[in-house]
Amino acid sequence: MANLVTSAPIPTASLDAEFTRADIEFHGLDHSGATYEGRVFLNRADASEQTPRDVPEYAGSYFVFGHGGCLGDPGHCDATPRRFYDPRSAHPLTPIVKVVIATAALRRAKAGSDQLTVTVVPVLLATNKAVGEPQDLVLYEQVRIVTYR
Amino acid sequence: MEQSAPASNAIVLRPSVEQSNIAALRDAYAKMQALKAADNRSWIYWAEYHGFDRYDCWHHAGTGPPPGRDYPYDLFLPWHRAYLQYFEHVVRDQNAEAIPPWWDWTSAASHAEGIPKAYEESEVDGAPNPLAGGPMPKIPKEDVERTTRSHGAPAELPKLSSPTPESEGEPLPSVESLLALTSYVDFSRQLQNIHDAVHGWVGGQMGVIATAAFDPIFWAHHTMIDRLWYQWQLLHGVNNIPPNYSEKVLAPFGLTVEQVLDVRALGYDYASSSASATPVPAVAAQAASAS
Repeated sequence: MANLVTSAPIPTASLDAEFTRADIEFHGLDHSGATYEGRVFLNRADASEQTPRDVPEYAGSYFVFGHGGCLGDPGHCDATPRRFYDPRSAHPLTPIVKVVIATAALRRAKAGSDQLTVTVVPVLLATNKAVGEPQDLVLYEQVRIVTYR
Repeated sequence: MEQSAPASNAIVLRPSVEQSNIAALRDAYAKMQALKAADNRSWIYWAEYHGFDRYDCWHHAGTGPPPGRDYPYDLFLPWHRAYLQYFEHVVRDQNAEAIPPWWDWTSAASHAEGIPKAYEESEVDGAPNPLAGGPMPKIPKEDVERTTRSHGAPAELPKLSSPTPESEGEPLPSVESLLALTSYVDFSRQLQNIHDAVHGWVGGQMGVIATAAFDPIFWAHHTMIDRLWYQWQLLHGVNNIPPNYSEKVLAPFGLTVEQVLDVRALGYDYASSSASATPVPAVAAQAASAS
């Protein structure tokens, strides 16, 4: 089973009290390897693949359609940034953004605690021989809570 | 040189799998799959645009040129629309009656049986079913000659509607809730999440970007994704897309985003199904009543 990832605590007092929609955004997410479901739980750092999705801490899932590993020569999958005048689009392995709409779960978390943690439980869906079954499926730079009125 | 029949210039209605001419589709796909990879009519040639070894495809929000050059943009939906249009004509060259259909993975049939039977039967008339698998090129670390699948439980496929707001307790929002989103970027991101989930659900070569398009179900899945974008456009506007997207070129197809917004300008429309009725645009309704 791949490693789960839990964020640092996020103070809920900083969230708008009157939001009509709230999202959990994962920025700088790696998608170079296997395809997986990231099950997102709030204030449930002990969640696992066996934790049912109908618990109140479950906020939803994001899915990553993995690139399938590197099938080129060394350096082929290095996601180097483009130069300013480079007409090519970004490298296909540029880290991505995933957004989980989680209004009700965030409302519960805000009402129940003055801080929240975001735990991602990865569930491997598809892989290949180039990737295998990596332990570290969930690699991201930042998680943000974004609210809308 | 052999003289071929004149090509049809009429707008085609892309059917559901259940409504499609499966015999014609099998005939066209089998012919493409029998061609050598370097032939620009072959199955492998067209699948390689998506993944190994060309990787021209667009996936995921947040990608784009460096900051300062442009705002981030995501050509996932327009790029695949252009790709499907080219593929469709390559298929029709092989059999004029073969129109790649859409697989409605929200339908009751899909939630009972999973992948449509026409795409599951391993053999047809004693030969490999060209809808069940496609040929693979030689790929490092892969030693399979045809694609295979390892799909999940049918009940895990995305749902059309949900009894609770936001599909509480479900891994994905319902398709109906996505169609209600008013922002293109928001809709595209959420639809792409569902798209990613179905790739993972099918598994096998379809499960990763590098090899997905070699599996024939890829085309039925992406036609469904394109159809959902079309449905969203009917609700929220055909030209509803951020202005900085319009002039982007969908390489290598040479079309801009603006040129793929109207499906009828691309020569196709979508037939409705009983599982999830498609709003029919007035012009299509007129064409249907006139035929």
